[in-house]
This record gives sequence, C-alpha cells and structure tokens, in this order.
Amino acid sequence: MNSKKQSYDRVAKVFDFLRGGDMRRWNPHQKSLFEKLQGNVLYVGTGTGLETVNFPPNLNITAIDLSFQMLERSKTRVEKYPGHMNRCQMDAETTGFRENSFDTVVTVCVLCTVKHPVPCLKELKRVLKPEGRLVMFEHVLSRNPFYALALKTMSNLTEMLEGTYLDRHTVNNAEKAGFEILSHKNVYLDIVKALVAKPV
Amino acid sequence: MIFKIADFFIGTFSGGAMAFCIHMIIPAEINMFLGMFLGGAVGMVMMLAMMLVLMPLFGAFEVMIPLHINGMLVGMASGMLTTLSSVTSNHLTILGALIGFSVSIYIYFSNKYLTQS
Repeated sequence: MNSKKQSYDRVAKVFDFLRGGDMRRWNPHQKSLFEKLQGNVLYVGTGTGLETVNFPPNLNITAIDLSFQMLERSKTRVEKYPGHMNRCQMDAETTGFRENSFDTVVTVCVLCTVKHPVPCLKELKRVLKPEGRLVMFEHVLSRNPFYALALKTMSNLTEMLEGTYLDRHTVNNAEKAGFEILSHKNVYLDIVKALVAKPV
Repeated sequence: MIFKIADFFIGTFSGGAMAFCIHMIIPAEINMFLGMFLGGAVGMVMMLAMMLVLMPLFGAFEVMIPLHINGMLVGMASGMLTTLSSVTSNHLTILGALIGFSVSIYIYFSNKYLTQS
C-alpha cells in the first residue's frame, strides 16, 4: 500500500497533464453517467479532483484518496464544487466508514489501480446502502484479441510506472463482489466503460 | 470531430514515420526473418516514444491501441521489406502510412459498433 501511495504522490505533479486528453474525450460521457449520483456520495480515488466538474450540483460528497499529494492538488476543484464536498486520505480497500453510510459510491479509474479489486468492491458494498448504487467509470481488458494484446503488453509497463493495471475484468469482479450490473455502456471500444450496479 | 480527424492522422502519421525510421535503421543486407524481428522491436520502441508525446494530448487508450497495432504490423512488415533491395524508403513510408490508415479505419468502425450496440 505504501509503495502505491508513494507512486501516486510522485505522479501527482503531472497527473492533470497526463489525464488532459482523457478528460477532453470523457467529459460528456462522465456528465451523463454522473447524473445518476444522488444523496450521500462516496467519491473513491479522487485524485486531483478532475471529475468534480462533471458532478451534478448540490450533492453531499465524501472524497477519498490514498495519496496526500493528490488530495492537496484537488483542493481548488473541491472548493469550486457547487455543493458540499469533504476530503479524506483513505485506502479504498479499508475505508473505515460505517456500514450502509452512502446512497451512491462513484469510482473513476480506481478498480484498475487497487491491488485487490474484489475485496475493494466488497468494502464499497459494505459502506453502500442496500438500495444504493455503485457508479463506475472504468477501463477493462478488451475481448478483442488485438486490443487485449496491446493492453496486456502495456499493463506491465503501467503497473511498474504508476501501479495501474490495464488487464482487469472489472465487470466480473463487481459481480463476484456481490453487485448486479444494471447498466453497461461502452465509452471507447469495449475498454472504457460506464457502469451502474446495485448490491444484491 | 477534431478527435476523430486526429485519430486518423495519428494512425497514418505513426505508420509512415515508423516505416521510414525502420528503413533508415535496419541494414538491407540482413536476413529477411531477422529484419522482420528487428523491425517489430524498433516499431515497439518507437510506439512507446510516440505514446509519451501523444497520450496527454489525445487520450491514453485512443493513442495506445492504434500505436501498438501499428508498432507490430508496420514494424514487422517494414523490417522484412527493408531487406529487399528494390524497396525504397518512399515505398515503405507510403506502405506504413496505408497500414496505419487501415488500422485507424478498423478501430473507427469497431468503436462505432461497440459503443452503439
């Protein structure tokens, strides 16, 4: 966990630059997905808060991230959010919140970075109310062999550089953790996905 | 719209550039099989360098997927063809650009199908 934290602390300075292209591509898709956020929201893996501009206003959001440097850099965006948002440094695999605390849990490119995705999803299920929703904007391994080969090859490099895995089966992992997928939309090929799930 | 044009440009330009560089780097006297292997390796190294520059501007996956396929396909084809004395750098650059453009077309329609289904 510490090495992952350190690697994200290190990358925090250039994180906005690195994600610039992704955000320009993904903003409209995220805006449409995040319309489903409601009530008390847990925003997992806040990073530098790039996605806050796509959140609907007037939500009560708890934003968590493992990296202190990332949270520091999210300060301006969090302050500009037209609603209530507080930040905590916390590991998504062991959050420390009480059971059934949130109406919505939102993850953006988180389940590709946590070390153990299924236990992490189980933890998110624990803090989510039984009638709550898990909203995910994630990238996964493609079923197309050409794309999958590219992702698997690059995954070795991204894992080493910043601890991101490009070969995760997030849809299956969510089902393994006890979620039922309610909506499933491909954003780019079958790699970047917008998903909504509910606990079962 | 700008991103759609950029995707085709990235595919075509990277294919052409890889083919040209491979023709410059790999000696024509070597065995065709070795040329193919070296071409693939040079293509992958070039792919990584181009990715570092293009990903922050145009998006990680939208750059990574076409460049990776181009790195392998254009790299291996150019490496192999470089060993033929009749093939010039112009021929290879055009071939590389055509392969890159074809890869972009494949990805465009694949994306259209997957995101609309």
